[in-house]
Amino acid sequence: MAEKILEVKNLRTTFQTLAGEVKAVRGTSFYVESGESLGIVGESGCGKSVTMLSILHLLDENARAEADAINFVGQDISRITTKEMRKLNGYKIGMIFQDPMTSLNPVFSIEQQICDPLMRHLKLNRPQARKKALEMLETVGIPSPESRLKQYPHELSGGLRQRVMIAIAMCCNPRLLIADEPTTALDVTVQAQILDLMKQMKEEYDTAVVLISHDLGVISSLCSRVIVMYGGVIVEEGLIDDLFYETGHPYTAGLLRSIPRGDGEKLVPIDGTPPDLLNPPKGCPFAARCSHAMKLCREAMPPKYPMNEHHYSCCWLHHPSVIAKRGEAKLI
Amino acid sequence: MSKLCIDAKDLKIHFPLKSGMFQKKRVLKAVDGVSFSIEAGSTMGLVGESGCGKTTVGRSLLRLYEIQEGGQIIFDGADISRFTDQQMMPYRKRMQMIFQDPYTSLDPRKTVAGIVSEPLLAMNIMKGKDAQDRVREMVELVGLKADHLSRYPHEFSGGQRQRIGIARALVANPEFIVCDEPISALDVSIQAQVINILEELQDKFGFTYLFISHDLSMVRHISHQVGVMYLGNLIEYAEVDELYENMVHPYTKCLMSAVPAADPVQNRERQRIILQGDVPSPIDPPSGCPFRTRCKYCMDICAEKKPELVRVNEKHMVACHLAGK
Repeated sequence: MAEKILEVKNLRTTFQTLAGEVKAVRGTSFYVESGESLGIVGESGCGKSVTMLSILHLLDENARAEADAINFVGQDISRITTKEMRKLNGYKIGMIFQDPMTSLNPVFSIEQQICDPLMRHLKLNRPQARKKALEMLETVGIPSPESRLKQYPHELSGGLRQRVMIAIAMCCNPRLLIADEPTTALDVTVQAQILDLMKQMKEEYDTAVVLISHDLGVISSLCSRVIVMYGGVIVEEGLIDDLFYETGHPYTAGLLRSIPRGDGEKLVPIDGTPPDLLNPPKGCPFAARCSHAMKLCREAMPPKYPMNEHHYSCCWLHHPSVIAKRGEAKLI
Repeated sequence: MSKLCIDAKDLKIHFPLKSGMFQKKRVLKAVDGVSFSIEAGSTMGLVGESGCGKTTVGRSLLRLYEIQEGGQIIFDGADISRFTDQQMMPYRKRMQMIFQDPYTSLDPRKTVAGIVSEPLLAMNIMKGKDAQDRVREMVELVGLKADHLSRYPHEFSGGQRQRIGIARALVANPEFIVCDEPISALDVSIQAQVINILEELQDKFGFTYLFISHDLSMVRHISHQVGVMYLGNLIEYAEVDELYENMVHPYTKCLMSAVPAADPVQNRERQRIILQGDVPSPIDPPSGCPFRTRCKYCMDICAEKKPELVRVNEKHMVACHLAGK
């Protein structure tokens, strides 16, 4: 069995705002095995990005993240200081953000931005770092890397910038790469290039990847295991095939049905809007939009019901007494 | 054959660029000779990468740009491409637009009632009580409630705002609506809601849509015909199933294979063609075929002559020297 390089236990993140306390993440637990690619899917505001930012200690000052434990390669990083965290970020953990324009620093050249982590973490000197930076740019498929090193982010196209981001994230050979919507700002053809590159880098460096996306297509082309988040909690987790073909949660089923399949059938949208996390519902967060909802769903949060070894769903429909009364839930 | 709502012929939109005193004048050829037609009551999808000119085509059909370089736009039998603003007035009522970003396309200082009634008042279609009733009817039609009318845009979610945008576009009962990426700013579960509203309203009132999007699977779902644009040119144009099943142009093939399927088995089985490099600049496009710099079938003729849009069969046109060979 593969080693668990990241294990998060009961993560809770809240934001203090003028309107009150926003409970963005309400107790998520999951793990990442070495070399695997895990997808996190959900709508905007479901807490998928905040989960990862909490783990990395990158939240704003008005946020508070608490967890029972966050184990990263044998070290509990849930309570370490920001200073200690900086030794890990960009070294053992690489990150790629959504918008490559705002996540690269506009006043530093590409060379400086790639060399910085190399010199800081790997203690290379400038010429060594430069040599390594050139290699990295070549690996991520940037044409004429020599001249690109001297350029600034605004001189590159969106696809090239995202390649530079990947080069920076991968240059210290991290154990874990976190990619937060890496292709959302890009065109489909460029998206295909970047996804292909990420797949190739993952195999080459044997890095575990956490891919955060709202696009089930992107997730299914890269990930082997998927977590579905809704309203700040994980509602379903499973291997990619189980999730798509043996769907266990009505929300996942709703997401799958609202994507056109190309057969001209009418789309089935999920009615309503996501819950307000200022006052999250007491029971299942999806109950208000769920066509299977029962009285129980609004009263109590459903526990995890295992579907198989790697697959579980948080939905009362899988409770033995509900199954006895209603039969096995047919979601797809 | 039913009547044509929009017939664009060899449409060209060029934007002049700032240049120095002694420099040659340069132009950005945003749209460079695009021809297509949309039948009344049907939906045409327009797809392509960002910067290929699809939004410019949509806006120019509504005459939001002056058509100076050439080409004709025939709207319901009348050539509106050279009309003055005065002459355009009666036609303005008959065409509308739904914008991409529901956060910036609604006036934050107006209530929903004010936003939705604006087209009626501005174009002198209705006034007073009639207008109020019409606005209420429209707002309910797109799935909002009458008590939302006195609220302001910031009180709504993205999907609800897009519904307000749709209500505003449809309130004056237009015939032709340009939907410029109406769903790309929305979440997946909300996208389907908006698409269903657009489809229901088309069934009910017979609207004609130009649906601009980069989401190829949604375009397949909603459109009757689809045009593919690349660098200001329409390179392939066909009925929807014909295009998605028998695509001819190498660029269309690359574009389609780049879309990840939301189906793991399909994804594993499929052979993907990954297009290398970026789109060339429209300021200095390649000679001949615009796609030749990235095309793996590029021949000598591609650099010399720009391929014309030729008919492959009655439902399908393509601009490629390889077509029919």
